[in-house]
Amino acid sequence: MSVWRSLPPLGERPVADGEETVAALLGREDQDGLDERADRDDLAAYRRARRRARARRLATGAAGLIGLAVVWQIVATFIRDPVFLPSVTRTVSTFWHYLGRPYPSQGSPIWYDALTSLRRILIGFAIGVVAGVTLGAAMSATRVVRHLIDPVIEVLRPLPPLAFIPLFIIWFGIGELPKVVLIVIGVTPIMAITSVVALDEVPEDLRLCARTLGASRFYTLLHVQLRSALPGILTGMRISMAAAWTSIVAAELIAATSGLGYLIQQAGDYLNTALVLSGIICIALMALALDACIRGLLLLADPSRRG
Amino acid sequence: MGARADADGAGGQPVTGPVSSLDPVNGAARNAPSSVGHGGADVVIDSIGKTFRRGGRRTVALAGINLKVRAGELVCLLGPSGCGKSTLLRIVAGALEQDEGTVTVGGRPVRGPSPDRGMLFQTPMLFPWLTTRKNILFGPKAQRAGGLNERDDPELDAEADAILGTVGLAKFGDAFPHELSGGMQHRAAFARAIITRPSLLLMDEPFGALDAITRLRMHDFLLGMWEQYRTTIIFVTHDIEEAVLLGDRVAVMGGRPPGIQEVIDIPIGRPRHAVDADTESFLTAKRKIRASLTV
Repeated sequence: MSVWRSLPPLGERPVADGEETVAALLGREDQDGLDERADRDDLAAYRRARRRARARRLATGAAGLIGLAVVWQIVATFIRDPVFLPSVTRTVSTFWHYLGRPYPSQGSPIWYDALTSLRRILIGFAIGVVAGVTLGAAMSATRVVRHLIDPVIEVLRPLPPLAFIPLFIIWFGIGELPKVVLIVIGVTPIMAITSVVALDEVPEDLRLCARTLGASRFYTLLHVQLRSALPGILTGMRISMAAAWTSIVAAELIAATSGLGYLIQQAGDYLNTALVLSGIICIALMALALDACIRGLLLLADPSRRG
Repeated sequence: MGARADADGAGGQPVTGPVSSLDPVNGAARNAPSSVGHGGADVVIDSIGKTFRRGGRRTVALAGINLKVRAGELVCLLGPSGCGKSTLLRIVAGALEQDEGTVTVGGRPVRGPSPDRGMLFQTPMLFPWLTTRKNILFGPKAQRAGGLNERDDPELDAEADAILGTVGLAKFGDAFPHELSGGMQHRAAFARAIITRPSLLLMDEPFGALDAITRLRMHDFLLGMWEQYRTTIIFVTHDIEEAVLLGDRVAVMGGRPPGIQEVIDIPIGRPRHAVDADTESFLTAKRKIRASLTV
């Protein structure tokens, strides 16, 4: 079909006189300028070194968290008032206790509230990401759409989600719908903006390069332009995931009968500080886990972030 | 070797057109069937004009450009920033449409980008999410109908191995672009462009961002590769020394409206190496170009 297909493969060509010269000119493969990266004559060793550096970084990060827990424990020991600040051990045992037991007794256990919040997050986040990326792609491709939608986003973006809650209760009641809509409202503008930036940043020459290599317009759009913007879009997802948690916990604190925000509210009303902290820790752990998922995708999408 | 070249010609490669008009002395030797290459196409740039309009303002970027490049020739476009040399290159690539005139490559008029006209940029423009090997295989895979879910093809893999070896990156097939040094990235970009068998390579200040020493190495690399593949090359640069070292001829661009001021022959024998920059004839050619630029 294409030109190259009809030609004999390169590997079969006879060795020319000039080739030796070329090989000699090149010398060693890594002999390549003053660049510090030039010493990578062993790719595997280089990657091992980067993995070691990464492990060290993670270990240091873990030490920071442990340090925080130690300080908390010491302060709590001195204060000796579990209503003001329960100790780490007390908080952990409370967390463990209510993980499977309902609180209050007619309520629900932590795992149930956690799953309820998680479901709202995932539904709202998925809708928001799809809507935001679609909007962003349209804005990046068409000037009119960009000028039309940009002010709408700029008006919506700085509004705190809390402000919408009474309005959504009037419109959608107190069921699942207002919570999901609230997350969508928080996620969509962030995703639209980060997508526009990521798509705008794809160099025009990268597109041209793909075209001169024989890729069709559609193939280039899919495999070069969108692919090239993917790390930026995933970074946008990390930012908007944090916004989604802000929205959902705010909504659950005010108008809900389930979810981690509701649990924290209930525990606060009964001055069960250890349970309040348990709820907060539970949110932190889940947010961390979801962020780790997106970061994993980011590592897959952008090799330069590995190690 | 001769039969080999014939096979190439019959294989659907745009056969290099009749080389009529230009330089009978060098022409004969230059267009003899090359040893391993797949040959180049001749390029005819005929009275090209381009005007950019932004708002109400019109800027004439190019006017009345005429240039003929023989098959297998390496011509440098030399000029200061904003003289329209990159614009001209993009018109030949098919990335930009001219307002006047025609460009034919291998006898066929240019319409849109094509893998027959490879392009190399100032930055290597490797796809950062693909390994060196997959970068090199991008062109062949994108051209296949399946494209998306193409199974691995041992023939193609062998070809990738061969070309990785040729550009001196045999050990770096599985490295990602950010793991390569600047010069290695440019060599990978060269391999990626050459695997689609272009009959014309368009190079837009490809080594402009490299340090001086890496740049020297890349000059030798390019000269060696060109000796081997005999692809026609149009090489844009603003560096006089680079233009003299690489080019068979140097087209000096400039003026208002921008055009080609003069086309200067570089009478230095082939094969050339970076060390040729110390010779008498090299300095003479440099002087001649400098004189042409200061007009």
